[in-house]
Amino acid sequence: MSRKIGVCLLILVMILSGCMDATPIEEVSVSLILGLDLDEEDNLLVYMSSPIFSKEAKDKEEVYEVKSYTLRHSREKFDARVIGLTSGSKTQLFLVGKRLLKKKDWFDYLDPFFRDPKNTVTARVVAVDGSVAEVIFNKPADKPRLSLYLTSLIDAAAKRNIVKETTLQDFHSQMEDKGRTAWITQIKKKKRIELTGSALLAQSGQYKITITPEENQLLNILEGKKKGDYSITIPVSMESASKGKPYISFSISDLKVKKKVKFNGRFVFDINVDLQISISEQLFPFDVQKDYAKLEKSITNELENETNQLIQKIQKSQIDPLGLGLYARAYTYQEWKKVEENWGNTLAKSKINIHVKTKIKGIGTSNHQ
Amino acid sequence: MKKYTHNEITILQYIFLIVGTQMGVGFLSLPRVVAEKGGTDGWMGIIIGWILSVASSIIMVKTAKKFPNDTLYDLLIRFFGKILGKVAIFIILGYTLSFSLIIFINTFLYIKAWFLPNTPDYLIVMLFSIPVLFIVRNGLRVIGRYNELIFYMTMWLPVVLLFPLKDGSFLNLLPLFKVGWKSISATLPPVIYSFLGFELVFFFYPFLKKKQYAIHGIIIANTLSMFFYLFVTISCFVFFSPDSITDFNQPVLSMLKVIEFPFIERLDVVILNILILFSSRSWILYMYCTVFSFSQLMNKQDHSLYVPVLLGLLVIGTFFVQPTWMQVTTWQKWASNAGIAVAYVFPVFLWIYSWGYEKFSRRRFS
Repeated sequence: MSRKIGVCLLILVMILSGCMDATPIEEVSVSLILGLDLDEEDNLLVYMSSPIFSKEAKDKEEVYEVKSYTLRHSREKFDARVIGLTSGSKTQLFLVGKRLLKKKDWFDYLDPFFRDPKNTVTARVVAVDGSVAEVIFNKPADKPRLSLYLTSLIDAAAKRNIVKETTLQDFHSQMEDKGRTAWITQIKKKKRIELTGSALLAQSGQYKITITPEENQLLNILEGKKKGDYSITIPVSMESASKGKPYISFSISDLKVKKKVKFNGRFVFDINVDLQISISEQLFPFDVQKDYAKLEKSITNELENETNQLIQKIQKSQIDPLGLGLYARAYTYQEWKKVEENWGNTLAKSKINIHVKTKIKGIGTSNHQ
Repeated sequence: MKKYTHNEITILQYIFLIVGTQMGVGFLSLPRVVAEKGGTDGWMGIIIGWILSVASSIIMVKTAKKFPNDTLYDLLIRFFGKILGKVAIFIILGYTLSFSLIIFINTFLYIKAWFLPNTPDYLIVMLFSIPVLFIVRNGLRVIGRYNELIFYMTMWLPVVLLFPLKDGSFLNLLPLFKVGWKSISATLPPVIYSFLGFELVFFFYPFLKKKQYAIHGIIIANTLSMFFYLFVTISCFVFFSPDSITDFNQPVLSMLKVIEFPFIERLDVVILNILILFSSRSWILYMYCTVFSFSQLMNKQDHSLYVPVLLGLLVIGTFFVQPTWMQVTTWQKWASNAGIAVAYVFPVFLWIYSWGYEKFSRRRFS
């Protein structure tokens, strides 16, 4: 009998102890979006957007902008404004304004994300082409809460490989690793919010160039990313193509990328791309079943052309989003050791050869001759 | 004469007891510590550490085999006489006690840092003391069962570590041998510290039922630990870039933070809860050995009386002294040095001594 009572008491103690210090969700301000930017006088601006769980509130979101010295310093200022206690454990997006991106070493500001175990490291790092305020104060009437909207926008686009999705943890590795540089999503507020491709940063975190969604697909192919779908549209230069509109679209059903490095006075990289494609659109008369080799060759040429242009652009900016430095370190360690502090510059002087092999696997259900 | 028949342990329990003592919370920071010394070649240090610990373990079992029913206390008294033997057992007692405390305080600091930052120290220690009291005051058989149970309960832990690897790159490990043997051997002190625990085999051996498998058992235990450490370290090296792994104090937890399932977002916090069970084995065993030696020193058969006293002292101790991370790191360094003495130098010495002792005493009897 006394044992039963004891067990009951024990269960009560175990369950009830949780009620002592409960935090209702209405009293927490969860910063789903955090933003960092600079104003005209180069003061640090911190933005926060958090959902409101209240039937009386008309807006379902509160957004604030404060001036502060650091990210953690901004928290007191937010606490003085928002409805509950600010919490950084659920951050989905981390927006960085263009003005701040153009500065060096802004990465130092992110320290609390990695230091405080309560903070999440899976927030997506997003470059804003313009100021953060333009994006974060935006309230599209036909969309859900901005944080949900932007998150699913970026996730969906990353599945199509038109932007690079980089979490804070990935970003940390990209920044700290000497053999690669950062590669993050970029958005812009035009009439509406739009993904404009990806931003490529230098080793110091400084903004270098933007690549378009099409270029992002190519860079993903060179990286060897198999996940997600590719839908690539390119012009082909063939005799028969000039009879119609010279465009062909295809998806990639299989992708194999091999990177090799050797050193003879300078680093020489060979990137071998093996593509298996299925044609999804063809706007000119051509008998693929008969002359498939011709079309494969034409696609190969065009892809090699475009990727070479992209690589030249990257080399000119002295950056390495592909992480070719990792290969240099792994296979030519002695030479790498000498140049690791100055890798971007070295890569710019290296030779990068791209060899594409295309194989048409499927042509769909019609054959436009 | 068998003194400990009522408390015999099976070979599986014996293996899990050793594994349990070896794995505390040290593995959470192990990848960083070896990376600081040996870069991405640091994992090779683990294999060297394993060879050393297996060698030392075999010597220990060989020594213990000569007097199969002697506990460490009986053995030391037999070898060195009453006074010297008692001094030696007193030193061992201090060793096990300080290990028990260091591992306990380390775990407790994790709990404090990750989920109970505002709870006073002594309250957490008190909460922990209650289950520990129930386990430690029993004999080795109950502790063995506890270890076995926890081993099965936490077997899935390494599987979780596979999830973040899809974002990693095996290129990080290459080239092998980039730092040279000198740096690889510099990783040995922390590695040796994480293998410590097998020295308690002196305490377990007399309880083992099938003594013919003692050597097999200890090799299996050391190998299990080695595979676990190697797996954890290589996963971290693959996931983190070689230039950034030293930025994270506990890379294993930082890696777990990345895992997100649709139904649970912060898996690291869940896993840290399980780690309390995981590391409890280690401090419980050291604590058991402490009170066991103490009761033998006091010539008492029953050790359970001393457990509440020790735990009470612990609670009172944390009431006055609030240990910090930095302090524990310094203590760990001392303990690591003491561990090398107790687990590597002492067994060799004892083995040579026992060999001489046997010859000498045989001559005397014949």
